[in-house]
Amino acid sequence: MGQPRSFRTEGVVIRSIPMMEAGLMVTLFTREWGKLRAVVHGARKPSSKLVGHLEVLNCVDLTLHRGRPGNLDIVSQAQIVEAFPALRMRLEGATGGMYMTEVVDGFGAEGSPNQEIYQLLVQCLRALHGGAPREHVLRYFEMQVLDHSGFMPELHLCVDCREAVQPGQHLYSPEAGGTLCPSCGIKGQQVYHMSVNALKTLRYFRRSSLEEACSLRLEPQLSRELTNLLSGTLKFWLDREIRSKSFLERLA
Amino acid sequence: MTGWPVPSAAPSVARLIQELNKLPGIGSKSAQRLAYHIIKLPPDEAHLLAEAISVVKDRVIFCSRCQNLSDTDPCPICTDERRDATQVCVVEEPLDVLALERTHCYRGLYHVLHGVISPINGVGPEDLKLKELLTRLDGTSVQELIIATNPTLEGEATAMYIRRQVGQLPLKVTHLARGLPVGGDLEYADEVTLSRAFQGRQEL
Repeated sequence: MGQPRSFRTEGVVIRSIPMMEAGLMVTLFTREWGKLRAVVHGARKPSSKLVGHLEVLNCVDLTLHRGRPGNLDIVSQAQIVEAFPALRMRLEGATGGMYMTEVVDGFGAEGSPNQEIYQLLVQCLRALHGGAPREHVLRYFEMQVLDHSGFMPELHLCVDCREAVQPGQHLYSPEAGGTLCPSCGIKGQQVYHMSVNALKTLRYFRRSSLEEACSLRLEPQLSRELTNLLSGTLKFWLDREIRSKSFLERLA
Repeated sequence: MTGWPVPSAAPSVARLIQELNKLPGIGSKSAQRLAYHIIKLPPDEAHLLAEAISVVKDRVIFCSRCQNLSDTDPCPICTDERRDATQVCVVEEPLDVLALERTHCYRGLYHVLHGVISPINGVGPEDLKLKELLTRLDGTSVQELIIATNPTLEGEATAMYIRRQVGQLPLKVTHLARGLPVGGDLEYADEVTLSRAFQGRQEL
């Protein structure tokens, strides 16, 4: 017996583009199926019952009909689970949400569920909605996405000689996979000079909860350094820049 | 195994199909149907279509005031003295101007952004006609700026960005009401739409 023709899942709308006369193609990051693209017929008509539920950043309960082989699935029902309205009302919140959806879009694969990243995305959207400091939430989100995707950089040993890194005498290379001691940090790799505070903060963001991370005091210089280190790491693994980054920097 | 060669369209027909296929919303099947429809048209009608495309590309320009598409600069709306020059309505696309004009309830001027801030697609404020808007507002008689971007996340972000940019200017900034569509159904409305409809309720 084949798969049922329709299925139900919960997901966050991470992208939405117009399709045909009045339809939409939405990209969802779902709890059970990972990244998933689907069609919403007639969504752009004023009478559409679905479009308000399928706005980007909404967490929705969905029923989808499986498309024919080679075709996209079709959204037949949608109901908001959580909408984060306060996040949309602030430019910083909205752009922070867009940034996170772009990161998830980059790291998520279709048909490959990752419940940890799904829960992380919802948790971080909820935090931004609740007014948590944006830079803390975004840096924590980046670290945890790298961790749950299997790309967490090494932050205790030199990735080359495997000796414990000495605070104050360490470098960082996304290409090498983490920290390097000064004698190993050569060989044509892009190497960042990393402060002790940045190293400690990244280690802390890795093991702490979001609430704990948000309570940390981040000086502007340290915040900029963490942004550079993590965006360099994301760029290396995605092989492209996160496009929302430049707009975020403009608003900072 | 070798079979019969797959029949293909004549090169000129294939080229027409290929060009039509580039249009938004036109897939390969629709492109084929349109191409064969054009082939069946009387020569006069086909030439009128070709001429219309050619003329529109040669003549249509951006109005230097509102940035809408027009045959003249300034456009007929900007030069119409009966319109209220103290109000400017900001829209995303030229088609939005047509939609608002169909209502017959707005008699002010427009400004067309030609897009919306979309960080995820790499579209920033510099890619829109925002600089032209700020230049236009500086030192004019405009008293109200009505932001009519779509109520999507990107439309809202664009509206908030404009609000921030014009914050120093002495004008009122408003945006279109959000709420239930005519003929809509409360039961199916989403929470965000309903809560905004409540916020914008009016006395009967």
